[in-house]
Amino acid sequence: MSDFLHFSEHRLQELALGFMALVYAIRIVWFLRFKAGGERQAKTGPPGTSRTKGVLYSWVNIAMPWAMESTRKKLFFYCQFVVFHLGVATAILLSFIIPYGRGLLEIPLAVPAIQVITGAACAVGVIRMIRRVGSPYMRAISSPDDYFSLALLTVWLGSAVLAAPYGALADPSKVAYAEGLRLTFFLLTAFFLVYVPFSKISHYLYYPFTRYYLGKTLGYRGVYPIRRGSKA
Amino acid sequence: MTRPEKTRSAKARKVLERLGQKLNRQIAGSMVACVHCGMCTDSCHYVLANPGDPTYAPAYKADRIRKLFKRHHDWTGRVFPWWVKAGSVFTDEELEELKDIVFGKCTNCRRCSLNCPMGVDLATFNRMARGLLVSVGIMPEGVAVVSKDQWELGNQMGVLKEDYVETLEWMAEELEEELGAPAEEIIPIDKPDCEVVYSINPREVKYDPRTIADAAKIFCLAGENWTMPSDCWDMTNFGLFSGDDDLGGAVARRLYEKVIELRGKRLVISECGHGYRSTRCEAPNWGKFDVPFDMESSVITMLGYIKEGRIRVDKRRNTIPVTFHDSCNNARSCGLFEEPRELLNLVVTDFREMVPNRAENFCCTGGGGAMSMSEYTPRRLKSGKIKADQLKATGAKIVVTSCHNCVDGLTDVIRHYKLDMEVTQLVNLVANALVVPAEAVPEKPAVPEKVEEVPAPGLPLAGHTIVVADDEPDQVTMLRAILEDHGATVFPAFSGDEALDMVHRHKPDLLTLDLAMPGKSAGEVFEMIRKDPQMDHVKICVITGRPELREVIYERSVAPPEGYLDKPVSEERLLRNVRKVLEVTHHEN
Repeated sequence: MSDFLHFSEHRLQELALGFMALVYAIRIVWFLRFKAGGERQAKTGPPGTSRTKGVLYSWVNIAMPWAMESTRKKLFFYCQFVVFHLGVATAILLSFIIPYGRGLLEIPLAVPAIQVITGAACAVGVIRMIRRVGSPYMRAISSPDDYFSLALLTVWLGSAVLAAPYGALADPSKVAYAEGLRLTFFLLTAFFLVYVPFSKISHYLYYPFTRYYLGKTLGYRGVYPIRRGSKA
Repeated sequence: MTRPEKTRSAKARKVLERLGQKLNRQIAGSMVACVHCGMCTDSCHYVLANPGDPTYAPAYKADRIRKLFKRHHDWTGRVFPWWVKAGSVFTDEELEELKDIVFGKCTNCRRCSLNCPMGVDLATFNRMARGLLVSVGIMPEGVAVVSKDQWELGNQMGVLKEDYVETLEWMAEELEEELGAPAEEIIPIDKPDCEVVYSINPREVKYDPRTIADAAKIFCLAGENWTMPSDCWDMTNFGLFSGDDDLGGAVARRLYEKVIELRGKRLVISECGHGYRSTRCEAPNWGKFDVPFDMESSVITMLGYIKEGRIRVDKRRNTIPVTFHDSCNNARSCGLFEEPRELLNLVVTDFREMVPNRAENFCCTGGGGAMSMSEYTPRRLKSGKIKADQLKATGAKIVVTSCHNCVDGLTDVIRHYKLDMEVTQLVNLVANALVVPAEAVPEKPAVPEKVEEVPAPGLPLAGHTIVVADDEPDQVTMLRAILEDHGATVFPAFSGDEALDMVHRHKPDLLTLDLAMPGKSAGEVFEMIRKDPQMDHVKICVITGRPELREVIYERSVAPPEGYLDKPVSEERLLRNVRKVLEVTHHEN
């Protein structure tokens, strides 16, 4: 293994992760400095609804595609969302497995499974890019960051697909392309980690907060959990 | 290229300063969390009614506000504004463009908020943006007028105290015979130590006093110890629509303090979506006021009376198929959606659910104060296509709603899309289904003390002369046919001048007056008749397809018309109102 690859897989990743953690910490402090609004009035809504139930419902809302009309009516899009995020999680996991737990990749079917998941996510990335460019609604709301973040993740997922088969090699320099593919994956990972706090990819940092406050409000007012009925 | 600070207008500068003061954690979260996934797009009725126009998409509209936050409060936007589409405002024209979006392209219905995977609450920060613009005097004219009335006169329609009290007395007198009690006991005014203080929407005084009478009948038959305040009675709150927390807090505080002054135990809020939300849920926060008494919607009160056996209802009196429209404020912001259904099922025989419903229902198009912003009416009516399709699919003939804004919004949609439906409220259906106990009705004398001349049997309008003024010949023909079939003598008029001429010539008991006619304006005709002592017996019922023109009548310094009907008018509604107006004998103009 070359020194540069070793550096990229270890020290560079640690620095990038440390940087991301630092920026996230600052970001959270900044966010929490905004005062939270409260509610003085007595609760409303059907009996049995509460702030706690509202918050819990709100947090797991995304795992219940039937709960929101927007996901219920667009199940294919929802499946894309699941696949894409599973792929991202798998690629992140791969960036830890290769330097710190290479043996795990020798488990039968581990590498093909990683490739299938990240490959599917990469394909979803391409589909999403086509949607973002092709739909006038998506173009109207998209910023350069939206395009770049999606492109970055898609390419990075693609690099995970290509790097995974060589992840278990102790010395990839002995196999053609192996070192280059792993290096590409780790350099992209490092860039990704540094870029994330400044981009929309950091949305997961805010997700617990936004859903918490929406759930708290709507739970207290009896709107969450959502009730539906098509018949009288 | 960055524009120099000195080119920024005073208003733009103030908006940006106040943005920083308005931000709380919930709003900041909604500003930073959007991933532009586009999932909210199809949840908006404006988008669905304007296919291909992305400027109605909730995320697009949100970004017009969000760009200011990014440019002035978020680090990426400060350093690389173009990268995240951050931006600022410099001119009053740019603020006007923002006004067009936050007031004219969103009713704050919160449907997109419930469909956002990230929990971004656009409705909340759209309201905040409205408040910022209002604070520098940039708002639709209707918003300015209504806000001014609410600040200065204490109610959003500028109803004077004497008109309000007179209307209550009038309604009480109407019920005297039926309930067999003196008027002052039927609608007690300013009675202290009551269980219930009842607050209403000024629209009920101006356009729909029947709802007051119906509510009074229900309270009386339930044996409720209740009262209505003589002032500070308006439970509506334009602060919700204008985003002005100061107005919102001040308006509600007046009502809260009135209830405290009367030592009322419970404030019952009549059927009004934004009024209920404001008074019950939002205003204690705007005004930083801890309310020491209970508050509830009249829907819950009426349901309680039936469940407790305090009133009896017979649902067979409401057999026409009905559907229910959930007000956005009630359903999506207060969780009030099961009680109206429970109540409906007790008072009607044929309830048909609208789809989608409850918190997923579509806006009536009149929310967010849209009914007062006439400049956006064509846009609003176009977006009403979604509601019209929803209504039509139910096959119902009556749409019930617990919101006065929705009554007006739905009436407009029904008229615009030519649906064969009427709008009503739960209080009307409950009152209609009431079983009045025999002991509540006074015994009639077996022989009348004085035999009066009576019209021919079966023709309830016989002996009455009516002038029907409308520039649409079809409308005149229809009204004339209905009224003549019921015994009235009818004279048609097709313009303002002709209406005035007919009234002078025939001295009718009633003039039905359209508001948009050629010649002399309806407002002038109305005022001239009111001011003519020879014509003081002529009662006037406004029948209009343009409710936004009401102010030409109601803002005049003469007594308001005795009746008001929105087009389209059904035979049943016309006759009910005409008979009610003609039966008024104690109401002095």
